[in-house]
Amino acid sequence: MTDSLVQTLSVLFAAVVFPGGIFAITLGLALKGFDRRVFARLQRRVGAPLLQPFYDVLKLMTKRTLVPENANLVVFLMVPLLGLASMGVAAAMIPIPGLYDPSPAFGDLLVLFYLLSVPAVMLMLAGSASGSPFGGIGFSREMAIMLAYEGPILLVIVSVALKTGAALGQPICLSLSEIVRYQQAHGAYLFDPWMWPAVLTYIAFIPANLGISPFDIPEAESEVLEGPLIEYSGVALGLLKLTSAVKSVVVIGLGIVLFFPNGPEGLFGLVVFALKCLVITVCGVSVLRAAVGRMRIDQAVIFYLKWPELLGIASLALVAMNL
Amino acid sequence: MNFLSRMSKKSPWLYRINAGSCNGCDVELATTACIPRYDVERLGCQYCGSPKHADIVLVTGPLTARVKDKVLRVYEEIPDPKVTVAIGVCPISGGVFRESYSIVGPIDRYLPVDVNVPGCPPRPQAIIEGIAKAIEIWAGRI
Ligand code: SF4
Repeated sequence: MTDSLVQTLSVLFAAVVFPGGIFAITLGLALKGFDRRVFARLQRRVGAPLLQPFYDVLKLMTKRTLVPENANLVVFLMVPLLGLASMGVAAAMIPIPGLYDPSPAFGDLLVLFYLLSVPAVMLMLAGSASGSPFGGIGFSREMAIMLAYEGPILLVIVSVALKTGAALGQPICLSLSEIVRYQQAHGAYLFDPWMWPAVLTYIAFIPANLGISPFDIPEAESEVLEGPLIEYSGVALGLLKLTSAVKSVVVIGLGIVLFFPNGPEGLFGLVVFALKCLVITVCGVSVLRAAVGRMRIDQAVIFYLKWPELLGIASLALVAMNL
Repeated sequence: MNFLSRMSKKSPWLYRINAGSCNGCDVELATTACIPRYDVERLGCQYCGSPKHADIVLVTGPLTARVKDKVLRVYEEIPDPKVTVAIGVCPISGGVFRESYSIVGPIDRYLPVDVNVPGCPPRPQAIIEGIAKAIEIWAGRI
């Protein structure tokens, strides 16, 4: 009885305080602040203060929340909550090497894969429930790009799971902790040339999932006025911003766990983890965002169905050959 | 509340309404954000696409008869507390369009204007000063 109570409490703690919830929100907003600063420096501007995303979210908490007349009230207000909750749980499923091992109660890589698509689905719901034509356009674009990037990422996850499983003598290994432990002992996949197609696919997946230029098509503020977010204001918009901050931690953290989880034990492991997140944000997000413009939705979909999909298939084939 | 309002003061989001401007002022507004010398982002500002996200409204142009209703409607959609800044001489007096048959301005007949930034078009420095003043007014309203 007490055992299950303790387990429930620890799972709750993991999802709400560390490493999900509060910790992931703080890390995500800090990464966003760095991203904005680096982006501005690349354009030779001074840029916003590092803490700007925190100010933004606090500001949104003081604003009035308007609900459009022709919106579906329940869906409209539930969507940000569900998005944030799903991402809090997803963040709690990412092991931090040497410090935190998710409880098996959370489930495995496949559950995480499903949770990863929840914010995109929530954005679609937000767009369609808002009753705004721009929201509707955002909805259809989000759906198109999601269908395009889900395939490659699934191929990457399966390649890593198959490779780890083969090394451990199982058919397939879907436990994130096992993947981390194997790489801690036998070297990171990042330095294994056979895994490079998978790494590349994952790098291509990051901007589409996080909605960063050139793939910020669903939320393009200069064409569809921030698409699904158009009708949101106040606290609801703040929650959506928090969701996207936690999502960036989850997506980048999953990349670290799949390919380069090596790090020291204890609290220092946390510092190394945060540093890795920072490096990926700066190289994979800020520089990319500053260097390219926005694609059209058809170009983006064709791009994803062509290159990352091909690379994903190649990585799966390479792994299967080496089994 | 005090802590929240002190933090919010650092994050004013801007929204542009073009009420029939000749585009001169709008180009200057874009300049304040896009050119390294006049970066408004260091004040924490950010141009947003949707009126529902905005805190400070920048109105340009003399308010023509055709756009009047739309401007008022978009203005209504901005959640309180909000501050209005009139950019350019057009919203103040009509500027070069003064006494034209198609103008229903000046704008303060319809909207409560908090800060006027005169000029045709105003210099980016003046616009940034206007925004800084608007932030002060806005902080008092949170
Ligand atoms: S103030 Fe001058 S530049 Fe600005 S909209 Fe009016 S005419 Fe154009």
